[in-house]
Amino acid sequence: MRIISTDHKVIGLQYLFTSLTFLLLGFALIVLVRWQLAYPAQPIPLIGGLFGESNVVQGVMLPEFYTQLSAMHGTIMVFLAVVPLAVGAFGNYLVPLMIGAPDMAFPRLNALSYWLYLAGGIVMVTGFVLPGGAASSGWTSYPPLADIASAGQTAWLVGMFVLIVSSLLGAINIIVTIMQLRAPGLTMMRLPFFVWAQLVTSFLLLLAFPPLQGAAVLQLMDRLAGTSFFLPSGLVVSGAPLRATGGGSPILWQHLFWFLAHPEVYVLILPAFGIVAEVIANATRKPLWGYRAMVGSALFMGSMSFIVWAHHMFLTGMGPTMSAFFQVTTMIISVPSVIIVSSLLISLYGGSIRFTVPALFALAFLPMFGIGGLTGLPLGLAASDIPLHDTYYVVGHFHYIVAPGTLFALFAGIYYWFPKVTGRMMNPRLGTLHFWGSFIGMNGIFLPMLIEGLAGVNRRLYDGGRTYAFTQPVIHLYSGQWWSTVLLGAAQLFFIVNLVWSLARGKRTAENPWQSTTLEWATTSPPPHENFPTPPRVHRGPYDYSPPGAAIDFLPQHQP
Amino acid sequence: MIPYTVERRADTGVTNVRLGIWLFLASEVMLFGALFSSYALLRVSAPAWPHGLEVLGVWFGVTHTIVLSLMTALVLRARSAPAGQARTLLAAGSFLAIVFLVTKGVEWRGEIAQGLVPSVNTFFAMYYTLTGLHALHVVCGLVANAWAVLGARRVGDAMTAGRIYSIGLYWALVDLVWLAIFLLFYLT
Repeated sequence: MRIISTDHKVIGLQYLFTSLTFLLLGFALIVLVRWQLAYPAQPIPLIGGLFGESNVVQGVMLPEFYTQLSAMHGTIMVFLAVVPLAVGAFGNYLVPLMIGAPDMAFPRLNALSYWLYLAGGIVMVTGFVLPGGAASSGWTSYPPLADIASAGQTAWLVGMFVLIVSSLLGAINIIVTIMQLRAPGLTMMRLPFFVWAQLVTSFLLLLAFPPLQGAAVLQLMDRLAGTSFFLPSGLVVSGAPLRATGGGSPILWQHLFWFLAHPEVYVLILPAFGIVAEVIANATRKPLWGYRAMVGSALFMGSMSFIVWAHHMFLTGMGPTMSAFFQVTTMIISVPSVIIVSSLLISLYGGSIRFTVPALFALAFLPMFGIGGLTGLPLGLAASDIPLHDTYYVVGHFHYIVAPGTLFALFAGIYYWFPKVTGRMMNPRLGTLHFWGSFIGMNGIFLPMLIEGLAGVNRRLYDGGRTYAFTQPVIHLYSGQWWSTVLLGAAQLFFIVNLVWSLARGKRTAENPWQSTTLEWATTSPPPHENFPTPPRVHRGPYDYSPPGAAIDFLPQHQP
Repeated sequence: MIPYTVERRADTGVTNVRLGIWLFLASEVMLFGALFSSYALLRVSAPAWPHGLEVLGVWFGVTHTIVLSLMTALVLRARSAPAGQARTLLAAGSFLAIVFLVTKGVEWRGEIAQGLVPSVNTFFAMYYTLTGLHALHVVCGLVANAWAVLGARRVGDAMTAGRIYSIGLYWALVDLVWLAIFLLFYLT
């Protein structure tokens, strides 16, 4: 296997291992944060001496380091771990296989987008060794704080610029591949839902990311060329007036950022819907219920996601007209997600479900995403958002969507398609341990967050808000969250061991171990270069499970 | 072999590269759209906004506009020209693009010498950001031109024609962005 390859499968695996590494790094950062919240002013056990005197003094974390950790945790998880895993790894590896194509439409561009991703990620993370440390203004990088932050913020912006170029190239590639390289007979309404989800996601990446790129350029100008795009007049920093022309608008950054970052939410969740749909159809041995409605919902959700962004900004003093508009669009956009989740739920009805490891993760996704989605509704209405804004409630809400939501779907996908990639199965016993450990661990961390947030605890406090009287009834929850973090970390060891061990020793499988209908199983596992020895021809829709009158309970798409 | 690199796919009616370039242009529209929106927001909320006619050299602006539009015309012409002539037109267009970059550089140098740097006010901050990003697009266009001309022998005429078609569209966008900059900075 060459390091610089243009084969979509190699690039997909490069994305997979790089993004899993970033996922582990992002988790490691938050383990430190959770220790600090549970036991502030107590030395970090075992590894407290490794971070240097500027970050950790005698084992005790400094506030400056805490803000770096939480800012970089968010950045790494969203931009370097989950999106590259969902779109870079799954999209790259599976889209050409599922549509019967020999490769992506632009293989060299594809390789370029991986290497740009790696470069951008490394630039961002090098912030930790710069003077003043890594970016520390939150994953949202709000000015004026971010404008005057240390050099790590510049690394963040440069890294972000490069990452956006990378995701842009990747998105163009996936859209062109899906539109142009579908096998004969594979009409749009015969595409697996996974492919639809990737298509809509790619449009979001294509159209929503460039405004943040523009915003990153403006913030770089503020930091390096002394401009004041985001600096208002009359700022005082550390007791001295800031030397800047002023006249800029911090709110402008928020608009540009959330214009990206709300569609970004759907970039995180749509590929997850896609994976869960494939796994559920396969595990229930039934056609997906409401396939057409799901496709329509995904398209509607994608387009609506461009006009909801300011529901993140109810506290910026926008007038009631503006806020009414964004409240209405926000309520409307919850409808398609409900349609998709309900369709998946109804798909379970009457099925004889095979409780495989991927099915466990996919089934757990449904209620977990449900909690995440429903807790989001109060945040979409200004009246209830104003007291909840910037509390742990918000953190709990979006973590339910991204962690036991999206990440569970991604784990389901890894267990489900591992036999495709390697020709071997992952160990189901270790997989089940991984599932239950993650399920209990994640709920043990995120459920208390909702309670803390309702009690009014601000999400950015270095000591978890211990100095305030109103936080006292919920302070004790932090230690439970710490032990849940330990459990969650321990559960991931089962996954890592399983992944490495199964690569070398996993049980060899049949060509189509899950008895699936979609095209990726119409070739050998692992597939050869250019994927299909003879180009497949498609004769039916993607989910022909349990067809009446047939001898077997599935009819593959390529079978006449 | 990847299909539809040269011939059109029947049901979509396009080649891969033709669809790809339109998607890319859509993302470029979003990039510049965001920046021009920022321009509008900062300008309407500014207590004072300099008149471009007074602080920028309008004749520089006119020269850039003529050179870049001529350049785009040549590249668009190259799309319907026979293969050999198309490469000549592209080379001539590249020369004009270099002329644009040189005159733009001379203009910037003069402005910086007068102390009109990005940190003077929001007008100049926006001016340098947008013209700088635009010049970066001109440089990328030059790289694309060289790639099409130099790669022509290797990939053949049909593929090169597809590339020149896409490059022409890209230059048209670069020219349109310039016209917007000319209008918003030099003439108001």
